[in-house]
Amino acid sequence: MALPKRIIKETERLMAEPVPGINAVPHEDNLRYFDVSIHGPAQSPYEGGIFRLELFLPDDYPMTPPKIRFLTKIYHPNIDRLGRICLDVLKSTDGPRKDNWSPALQIRTILLSIQALLGAPNPDDPLANDVAQRWKDDEPAAIQTAKEWTRTHAMA
Amino acid sequence: MENTEAAPAAQPPPPAQADEADSLTVEGSDVSSLEECDPHVVTRLIQCKNCSRPLHTPVRLPCGNTVCRSCLPPARPRMGITYPAAEGRAEEFTCYWKGTIQCAGEHCVDDCGIDVVLCNMTDVFQEELGFPDSDTEAVEPRQSGQGRTVRWKVGRKDTKKPEAHVAEVGNHGWLRGLYLLAWEGRFPYDAFEITYEAPDEPSQGTEDHYKLQNISLFKKVRNRLRSELDCQVCYTLILDPLTTPCGHTFCRKCIARALNHTDLCPVCRRKVGMPSAMESEPLNRTLANLIELFFHDQLADRREVDAQDELWTDHEKNLPLFVCTLSFPTMPNFLHIFEPRYRLMIRRVVDNGDGKFGMVMYNRRGQSQGEGLGSVPFMQYGTLLVIERYELLPDGRSLVIATGMSRFKVLEASELDGYHVACTERVNDINLAEEERLEATETAAAAIPDPSLGPNAEPPLDSMSTQELFTFLREYVRKQHYAGAPWLHPRVMLAYGPVPRDAARFPWWFASIIPISEEEKYPILSARSVRERLKISARWARELKARDWYFQIEHTYYIAIL
Repeated sequence: MALPKRIIKETERLMAEPVPGINAVPHEDNLRYFDVSIHGPAQSPYEGGIFRLELFLPDDYPMTPPKIRFLTKIYHPNIDRLGRICLDVLKSTDGPRKDNWSPALQIRTILLSIQALLGAPNPDDPLANDVAQRWKDDEPAAIQTAKEWTRTHAMA
Repeated sequence: MENTEAAPAAQPPPPAQADEADSLTVEGSDVSSLEECDPHVVTRLIQCKNCSRPLHTPVRLPCGNTVCRSCLPPARPRMGITYPAAEGRAEEFTCYWKGTIQCAGEHCVDDCGIDVVLCNMTDVFQEELGFPDSDTEAVEPRQSGQGRTVRWKVGRKDTKKPEAHVAEVGNHGWLRGLYLLAWEGRFPYDAFEITYEAPDEPSQGTEDHYKLQNISLFKKVRNRLRSELDCQVCYTLILDPLTTPCGHTFCRKCIARALNHTDLCPVCRRKVGMPSAMESEPLNRTLANLIELFFHDQLADRREVDAQDELWTDHEKNLPLFVCTLSFPTMPNFLHIFEPRYRLMIRRVVDNGDGKFGMVMYNRRGQSQGEGLGSVPFMQYGTLLVIERYELLPDGRSLVIATGMSRFKVLEASELDGYHVACTERVNDINLAEEERLEATETAAAAIPDPSLGPNAEPPLDSMSTQELFTFLREYVRKQHYAGAPWLHPRVMLAYGPVPRDAARFPWWFASIIPISEEEKYPILSARSVRERLKISARWARELKARDWYFQIEHTYYIAIL
């Protein structure tokens, strides 16, 4: 099936006007599959790290959200060990819980949301329960661990 | 400046004149030759029918027309309408287009959101045309009596006789000149027989200058407008603009697709009333005309690409049919596929399709299913299902969970490797305005009680408001649940979800679980309004109530033998 015009346009714009601190490049053999890297935001425990992610646009994109996952290990209450991300806008509205994906969103806005999530972890809506608990119990220690993980895994 | 002359001819204007002005379309106008572009056509498209000025903060009316927000007619409370029960739906007004084929008359105030795209467009017009061109002023200082004039006629309000008017446009050029006249409120919306007159002895250079000025102005406006006209879903030029009640515009197909997944506006996430009816909503006429006028060529390309895409995704032409049971939109179906022909069909649907197939019920009595079909082994109305989960068992059977998307009517059918393949037509609900009108008409007609029924008889369903029908049904379900009705067992609720709060969805849920025969349920599938479906559901509930007596006896009997 031909690649929808929308995906072509989004890709072109991502190339022409990249978001600062975010890089997304489609695979040559599969234009729905993107290699993404996000720079850890300043003043966050992830500062200085470069986090790699994979992003896939499903067949019914933009009716359903892109599938996206961290490849670099990261210590964050909303990201689990498999790199899955708990972010309301990444969830399809089809489910019984009304979540917040909308076809008016795009790859760019989603990546910005993820970058913002790194800057503002939300332990009240956790995906990695142990991390979230630690974040709530002893925030300075959790931040310290996040910094260490960033140094170990996200700084090549 | 403005002179009013008596109409030169005494003959009455042809009656079609007003209509002609109303149906002013720009189809066939060749935009590529910009000289041909009539300044009046451009101006009129952005004029408000009520105040004749360029649209200011335009609002979209449900009939597809547009007026300034400040020009909305005074609102009054609505009578006889209870569904959808949303705040802000309590007031209505009479449309300026009432009585034309475009509009049935009354609109709900809440449906008239500010048209965001058109708002941005009118800003562009105002910025480009609403101010005198400083370059021209410098080249040629304005001289009174220079003689560049526009003449037009307009029907007098009292006598309906055409009345001739003339106004000078100075050195603004025709496009800007006419826009400024409209902006000053001097150029009426229903003007006709427009003529442009240059001075008697124009120098050729000046004329060319004006012509070029017009063209460059038109181009400039066009370039600026283009960026406002991308659909937020497909990122291309909006095709068949459909504007939601909250004022956001998408291609008709894009918003219809988006609303298969959610009932929220993609841009502002406000609830869009009745998603299933979106495809029968009228197009945004003002936007459609503007796009046609300014982007004629691009629109033609867009249409062509769209038609090609259609070939990829057109289930309607070639939909595999699973002849089995009734199923309903938004509801899950739990299927065990064991027949070899359907194993093949489902495998094909999963492998190279998008997981969509049609579910139709057996035609047990061999009834004729309309022209072109005859006595086929299945019923004519069915449900488009999309596979959510698919589990292939080692022996080739499969377990499938599929959810109802929309309804269709089979137009033609053929066989492919043992299973049926159909050409179908989507069945859509009537639009919101029609839905509301239906309720008002039915309840008004049934308001007079029938004395033969006696005081204790249940009210006829037609006399009940849509909200009352819904409340009655929810109450019925609640009582049955309380009484421990087996069809409301927690396992059933787990599979089909809790009692829907949405009246549009409720009948599908109810039809999925209520213990009556499929033949009895079948009529609800072709009902095209929420009210109709609630009435059918209420009829079932009343019949079941009557049958309950037997059920109780049976129940006691079971307990006795246990």
